[in-house]
Parts: sequence; C-alpha cells; structure tokens
Amino acid sequence: MILLNYIASFFLIVLGLYCIVVKYDLMKTVIGLSIMDYGVNLLIITIGFNPGGTAPIYTFGELTPSSFFVDPIPQALTLTSIVIGACVTAMSLALVIKLREMYGTTDTREIRRLRG
Amino acid sequence: MMIQHFPILAIMAYFLAAFLIVVFGKNRTVRNVLGFLGTAIPLCLLIALAKPILIQNQIIAYWMGNRVPAGGYAIGIALEVDAMGLFFGLLIATAVFVAMLYSFSYMSHDDNEPQYYTLFLMLCGGVMGLVLSGDLFNMFIMVEILTFAAVALTAFRNTVFGALEAAFKYLVVGCIGSTCILAGTIMLYAQAHTLNFAQLAAFLPGNLNLATMVAYALLFIGFCTKAFIVPFHPLAADAHGAAPAPVSVLISGVLTKSGLYGILRLTYILFRTMNLGTVQFWLVFLGSVSMFVCVTMALAQHDFKRLLAFHSISQIGYVLTAAGLATALGVSSGLYHAMNHTLFKGLLFLCAGAVLHETGTTDLGKLGGLSKRMPKTTVLFLIGAFSISGIPPFNGFASKWLIYQATYQKAVESGSIGFLLVTVVCLVTSTLTLASFVKVTQSVFFGQLPKEYDNVKEVPFGMRFAMGILALLCILTGLFPGFVTNYLTEPAARAVFGANGYIDAMMGSGYAEGFGLADTLPVSFANVGIWSPISWLCLLLIMTLAVTIVAVSSKYDAVSKAARQSDPLPLADLEAATAAYLPTAPANPAPRYATGHAAEGKYELFFGGEESVYSQVGGDDMFWGFKHNWRHYFSFMHELHSGIVNDYALWAVIALALAMLYAMIIL
Amino acid sequence: MTIITDALTYLAYILIFPGFLFCFLSGMLLCGIDRKLVARMQKRVGPPVLQPFYDFFKLLGKETIVPAAANKTVFLMAPLVGLAAQVVLQLFIPVFSFHAFRGVADVIVVLYLLLIPALSVILGAASSGSPYAGVGLSREMVTVLAVELPLVLVLLAVAKTVGNALGTGLCFSLTDIVRCQMENGSLITRLSMIPAAVAMLLIIPGETGSHPFDAAEAETEICEGMLAEYSGAPLAVYKLSHAVKLLTMTTLFTALFLGGIGGGVQQLVSGLAPSLAGGIAIVLEIIILFLLSVVLVAVTVSFTHAVTARLRIEQLFKFYWTVVTGLAAISVVLAWYGL
Repeated sequence: MILLNYIASFFLIVLGLYCIVVKYDLMKTVIGLSIMDYGVNLLIITIGFNPGGTAPIYTFGELTPSSFFVDPIPQALTLTSIVIGACVTAMSLALVIKLREMYGTTDTREIRRLRG
Repeated sequence: MMIQHFPILAIMAYFLAAFLIVVFGKNRTVRNVLGFLGTAIPLCLLIALAKPILIQNQIIAYWMGNRVPAGGYAIGIALEVDAMGLFFGLLIATAVFVAMLYSFSYMSHDDNEPQYYTLFLMLCGGVMGLVLSGDLFNMFIMVEILTFAAVALTAFRNTVFGALEAAFKYLVVGCIGSTCILAGTIMLYAQAHTLNFAQLAAFLPGNLNLATMVAYALLFIGFCTKAFIVPFHPLAADAHGAAPAPVSVLISGVLTKSGLYGILRLTYILFRTMNLGTVQFWLVFLGSVSMFVCVTMALAQHDFKRLLAFHSISQIGYVLTAAGLATALGVSSGLYHAMNHTLFKGLLFLCAGAVLHETGTTDLGKLGGLSKRMPKTTVLFLIGAFSISGIPPFNGFASKWLIYQATYQKAVESGSIGFLLVTVVCLVTSTLTLASFVKVTQSVFFGQLPKEYDNVKEVPFGMRFAMGILALLCILTGLFPGFVTNYLTEPAARAVFGANGYIDAMMGSGYAEGFGLADTLPVSFANVGIWSPISWLCLLLIMTLAVTIVAVSSKYDAVSKAARQSDPLPLADLEAATAAYLPTAPANPAPRYATGHAAEGKYELFFGGEESVYSQVGGDDMFWGFKHNWRHYFSFMHELHSGIVNDYALWAVIALALAMLYAMIIL
Repeated sequence: MTIITDALTYLAYILIFPGFLFCFLSGMLLCGIDRKLVARMQKRVGPPVLQPFYDFFKLLGKETIVPAAANKTVFLMAPLVGLAAQVVLQLFIPVFSFHAFRGVADVIVVLYLLLIPALSVILGAASSGSPYAGVGLSREMVTVLAVELPLVLVLLAVAKTVGNALGTGLCFSLTDIVRCQMENGSLITRLSMIPAAVAMLLIIPGETGSHPFDAAEAETEICEGMLAEYSGAPLAVYKLSHAVKLLTMTTLFTALFLGGIGGGVQQLVSGLAPSLAGGIAIVLEIIILFLLSVVLVAVTVSFTHAVTARLRIEQLFKFYWTVVTGLAAISVVLAWYGL
C-alpha cells in the first residue's frame, strides 16, 4: 500500500517533468508543473503516514510514549506546499495570458525572442 | 539578551515594510520612507551583529516561540546565524539598501510603484530569511518567496521586450529547482525525522545511504538553479536583461548568493562531503565551466544588460571554483570574490540602468559616445569594469589574485595537473572579461555620439549617489584586502569548516561529539605572496604625478587651448590641409574652414581625406580576430541557447538525472 | 632620520634607477638601436641611434589637438597613466641581485600590470571617438588576449620549476625566481624550460606590438589605429611608453630565464674588497642587463621586423593560441613532472 504510494508519487513527478520537457504548449507546461507538484505532495504525505496510526490531536496530558499516530509535520508541510503550488499555477497562468496577448500564440517554439 | 532577537527582526523588517507599503503605499513620501526604513533597519541590525559574530566568534541560535530542543530533538523552528550566514546577510543587506536608494528615482516614472516596492521587499525578506534560517523547510519557503518575487519583478515592466518570456522561463525552471529542494528536504526528513540544520548536520555524515545521497543531489541541483550555475545560466541572462536595473542587482548580487550559500551549507556543513575528491572535482568543474562558457557567451552579446548577466554567472563560477577547492584559502578567496561580485556587479547593473533611464535602450549597436553627456556615470562604470576585470588596485584583483593562488596551491598539493588547468582558465577568463568590458566601454560610453542622444543628460543625483556608494566600496575593499580577509572572509571561512561549533551552538555543547564527529579540516590561511595595494597605489600615484608635472610643464595641453581661442588657421596642420582639398569642397564652400569655423575643421576626427561621417565602431564589430577563430564554437553555443523553454527544462532534467546518478555512484 | 633617508632612497628608485630616468634613457636607446638595426638589415642607412630622443623632444614642442568628439579628460590622462604604470612595472622587475621593491614583485601582479598600459592606450583611443581608433583598439584587445594565454603558461612553468628547486612547490615571487637562478644557474639551461623561453621570445614582439604582430597599429590600413588622433605631447608620451615596454619585456625575460648571470657577476666581484664589490656588481649588472636587452631586442624585434610581413589579426591570434601556447604548454607539462 505504502509502496504503491511511493511509486505513484515518483510516477507523477516524472510525468510532470516529461510534460514540461516534451510538450510545446504553454498551458501544458503549466499542467506539467502542477502534476509535478502533486507528485511531491503525495510523497510528503506518504512519508508521514503510519499505517494504523490515529490522528495527531492530543493534549499534553494524553501524550504518552505508547501513543501511535501519524506524523503531523509532513501534513503541515503538505499544506504549505499546496498553497505554493496554487501560487505557481496562478502566476504562470497570468503570465500565459499576457504572453498570449503579446505573441499571439502559446507555442513555446515561437516564444523565443531571447536567445543566443 | 537583546542581540538574540536581531536576526528575526531583520527578516521581519523587510516583510513588515512590504505589508505596510501595500496598505499605506499610495502616497509617494510614505512609500519611500517605508522602503528606506525597511532596508536600512536590517542593515543596521546586521552591522550590530558583526562584532559578536565575526570578531568574537559567537553563533546566535534563536528558537521561535522559545521552543528549545528537548531530549536532543529540535522541535521548534530555529534561526541560526554563524559567521558565514552573517557574511552573506551583510552582503545582501548592503546590496538591497543601495538598490532601494536607486529605485527611488529610477522607478519614479513607472506606474504600479507600490507593487514594485512590495515585491522588492518580499524578495529581500526571502533572501535574508534563507541565509539566516536554521531550518531546512523554512529555507524552502524562503526559496519559494524569493523565486516568486523575482519572477514577478522580472515581468514587472511587462511591455519591455522579452520581459514576460523571461519571467515564464524563469518560473518554469525555477519551479523545477524549488520542487527539487522540497523533494530533497522531505527525503532527508524521512531519514532523520528532523528539519533542523544542526540536527541534520549531526545525523547525516554518519548516515550516507541511498536516500540521503539522492536527497543531496536534489538539494544540490535546487540550489544550482538559484545560483544559475551552468546548465541554468540562460535563465539568468533572460531575467536580468528584462528586469528593471535595481531588480537585476537583486537577482545577480543577492539571489545568486542565496544559491551559493545553499551549496556551501549543504556540502560543507550538512553532508560534509567536501573531503571527497570527487565532490571537489565536480564543484571545481562546474565552476570552471560556468566561468568560461558564460564569459564567451557574454562576448557574443549585443545587449548591455544581457552581457552583464552572463558575466554575473561567470563570476559566480569563480566563487564556486574557489569554494570547491576545500582549502581554507580557497573558501576565503571564494567568499571574498562573492562579496566583490555583489559590489561591482551591482554597480555595473546600476550603470546599465542609468544608460537605459536616459537613452531608453541598452542595445550596444545603437549607443555610443555617452561619456560626453554622462561623464559621472562613465567614471562609475569604469570603476565597475576595472573591478570586474581584476585590474589592480580594485577589489576584483585582490580576490582573483587569491583565487589563482588557491587553485595553484591546490594543484601543487594534490599533484594534479587538472587544477593547474583551472588556474589557467581563471586567468584567461579574466582577460576575456576585460575584453568584453572594453567592448562595452567603446560601444556605449566612448566613440561617437549618435544624433538622437544629443540632448541626453546626466542621471539624477539619487541614482548617482547609490552608484557612488557601491563604487566607493569597490575601491575600499580593493585597497584594504587585509582588513577584508581578517574581519570578513576568514571568520566566514572558519564557520564553513566549523560544522561542530554550528551544531553545538544550537543543540547544546557536546552534541556533535555524541555522533562521533570531529572538525578535522585544518584551517590555515597561509598566503603564498603578499599583495599590498596601498604601496603599489602610492607608487602609481607618485609616478602619475611626476609624469603629469613634467608633461604639464612642457605645454602638454596649453597650445591646444591657445589655438582654440585665436582663430588663425594653422594650415601646416596636415588634417586641415587635406580637408581643404576635399572633393566635397563645392558643396561645402571655402568659408567652412574660414575664421568662424576654423575650430570645426581642425578638431574634427581624421578621416584620411574623406568627409567625416558618423561612424561608430560598435559592439558587434569588435574582436573579429578572436571571434573568427572561435566561430564554430560561437555558432554552436548560439544554436544551443535556443530560447525554447523546453530545452532549458530538458537541461535541468538532465542535470538532475546526472547528479542523482552520480550521488548513487559515489555512495 | 631613517625615514627621510628611506624616503629619499625610494624617491631615487622611482625617479632615477630603476625608475623614470633609467627607463627613459635605456628605453629610448633600445628603440633607436632597433631602428638602426632594422635599417641596416634592409640595407638602408637608417636614422641615428639617438633619433627617438629627437623625436620625443620635438613632439613635446608640438601642438596638442584634442578632437571635438573626444572626451578630453580621458584622452589626455590615458597616456600619462599608461606611462606611469609601465614605469611602476619596471620597478618590480629585479635587476639580478638588485631589487627596488621586493614585497610586491609577484608574477601574477606583473601579469596584470602588463595589462594596464595596454588598457590605457585602449581607453585613450576609445575616448577619441575615431573609427580608426575603434578598429585599432579592437585589434589591440585581441592581441592582448592572444598573448595572455601563452604568457600565463610561461609564468606558471617558471613558477613551478623554481618552486621545485626551492622545495616550496610553487614560487610566484620574481625576486625569489632570480635569487634561485643565481644559486642554481639560469633556467634557460634546463631542457624543460627551453620551449617556454622560445615562447617568451615570441611573446615579446606581440606585447610590444612590433612586426609581424602589429595589426593593432597598422599604419597602412588604419593610420596607426589607436594613435590616429594623438598629436604633440600625448603622442610623445605614448612613444616613450612603447620604448619603455621594450625594456620591460626584455628585462622580464632576463629575470625569468637568464637570472643565473647575476650569480656569475657575484663570483667575479667576490675577489674585490667588500666596500667596492657591491657598487661594482650593480654597475656591472646594469651594463649586462642593458646589453642583454639589446641582444633580445635585436633577435625578437629587429630581426623579425626585418624579415616578416604583417599578419592579419586572426592569423596572429591563431599563431599565439596554437604554436606559442603549445610551446609553453610543453614546458608546463615537463616542469610539472619535474624534468
């Protein structure tokens, strides 16, 4: 079960990178970035997951060495990462809109005024 | 102790100012005051930290909310400031302060000014947070903040040629880098169950397994994208070229430093892999390749800012090379050069901004002769250009000289002729740098003035003041290399090698020994030679004075002035004589050289009897002899830097794959 | 008291020997000898040996014209700074056992100081605004680039060989390089250093911009290039600078490869009374140094001038980065493996 998660997350990351490298369309590049991000999020969550653990909600009195819960830190990290991922998407989409206005295309092979 | 709070206050000042500008930034005065305070306060705070940290060798560990480690586990989020962090922090605070001063006049014609300052301060806060942080995930957050701010600022003038395109490319590849950092962070967390630097630094050196090495590769590539080391250099060129000048200063002088800081922290303190010959080799290799490739790319550029951007990476290559030597002299000289790079590159970008501000273009083919209209900017530019080309006694020479010695010393110690080659590459790169700045000098500031720039004026005092600060620092750090090495770079280099002290300061003393770690690397700063710029400069000054006195007493310039006032035409003068027989004489009859216009004919340029026309030898026409021999290389590089974002992403992926493969092999 | 004597001594170093006056006299004399030699090789009578002095003083009296398009300050200051840097450089090069400024005499510093005179000419030319000067400075910069790589390799080879001999691994100090040769014999006698010495001989005409490496100031095509707009006193200063450069490059060669002769001189005077020996040794050394410079100029500058035609700039670059660099690289590799 956990192994499947790891495989899925690496698959997503690689898929995202593949999409960025191979697809010559700005929108698809943005989608690739998102997929890559989801892959990493899945990876983070998987790392913090303990099979059979309870939710990490305790008061100081309840916390004993024997309590078994999923690691809360990766979940906090994932939340941050999701927020950042949303920012990336928002910002890149804004840029895509302006690029489309200016260049009249979303093909990356046409958007190469800066080179050499 | 109050001083414990200074690092967090420095970071918060930037973010608070950014926030306040959003709220109250409509009014220009309020905005400028906020911007000034937001950059000046952190600078003062960090300067106040200089004495305890750089001189007394303290390390400040600050736990947010006072959540100190319990049972050997760091629970809270920490800031930790050692000499290396403070060294980079001081650099950043200085560069940011100057860029802010410059922005006041430079950006005053743009709309959306409040947003500019907000993003600007966010970027500063991000970088400052990164170098003062003691927590890996915190570092990732700061990386994201600064990447976003940098992307947004790159596209800030979105009508400028290529700005949007540059921002998009930077965003895509920058995000790949950030994702690498995140993935590396989380893999380290899975192994060590902590995100705290000190605890990681204690845990990792004894636990190098497949997962940690892959994490190492991921983090390394992530920081390389931030420092724009070689496969990522086109982004820097695009972003710098399009961004407003103060932002270019931030990207080249500040953002790249954060990447370098990350690499140093990662290799020297977290993983302590620098005693491995292969890691040294790769750092030096990457550094030398960046150095050389970028300087040749710069030679082929015809845009002022783009050229500077490539140089920026070339100089970062020097720093990486020196840092990769893993000797005390190497690291110290590398940090010295990092500092100088911030100063002179900042100055040069501001000069490019000044040219853009007055003429509206940075195309080397269109400019020329500006030294007559902008003499002060020209002088400032020349100081920057001499510094970056390493002309004594400016600061670039002092640091490059140390780097040459460090590489040569390493070559002798290790007996490997490869490091000797590095010395040669360093020296040749320096001359190539000089060549491309000769090109800029000739095609922007000297030569002939195009008609359309006839009424160009000198830039406002506010901009010159900011440039002047950097120019002064360039000269001072060049004149007092002993001071800089003693009080700035050597404490920082000691901190780079003193990982145990770093761990103990945060986790309690004796923590590092508990993991069986010892600082084994010797820290000695034996220089091979002595460079005393003061005595040299005295010599040069005495000599120049002597020569000038002799020259002036021998009517060096006197006759010319006299001739300009009195009108008789000295027909003996060859120039005027040939001019009088011009074939165009009928169109321009005799009176042209008569009394009233005598000066005109005599003081015109010599054209071998042809009528004088506007004929500027521009940037593209220079160094034909060199370019011709290297034409295959240049056309290859031109093809390679295709400008397609997919290609750059592909380079990033290949670099990542190679780094991971390599990490697995050296395990 | 000692401060005053020290100051006077240094002033004497700077102004008389090995500073300004010495540079002026011997540089000009070298220049004159060169012209005479070339003329004799081409079966011409040639100008008198003192002609450069006459030229210099005549130019000083001529009118100085600053073109209207030029940036006056840079245009007039560049020659002066260039000359000053050139003379300062000469101060750093030891004359066998005599050295004026010991601490700063470092090979890499010398390498960079060599750039300053070239840079000052370039800046002066750029500030004149003339297109001829533009072309000229572009070529000059390429020449500097071309010469830089082999020069670096030559210096590294010497540094390594001397470092091996001294047991320190590397040695960048020029004074130590000369001292080591005085004890162990000239470097040129070592087999591994001969390619480097040949490379250095080829570098001398490139650095001084004489035939066939004078594309930067080709009179026939670009009207002396960088000097096209210069006249009067600044031109005189440039001519002087050029003459001093001849001296600097040849003395540098002597210091790097022929330093052992100084040891011979010391042996020669060792029989004399100690009070006399020092003075006589210095006089002898100066005379020998000058004679060596004359020989080197005759070989590298005059002879090549007489027998070759000008190379195009890209041929020049190729020549230096292949042939000369190759020679220097052979030396570096040989020196590296201790041969």
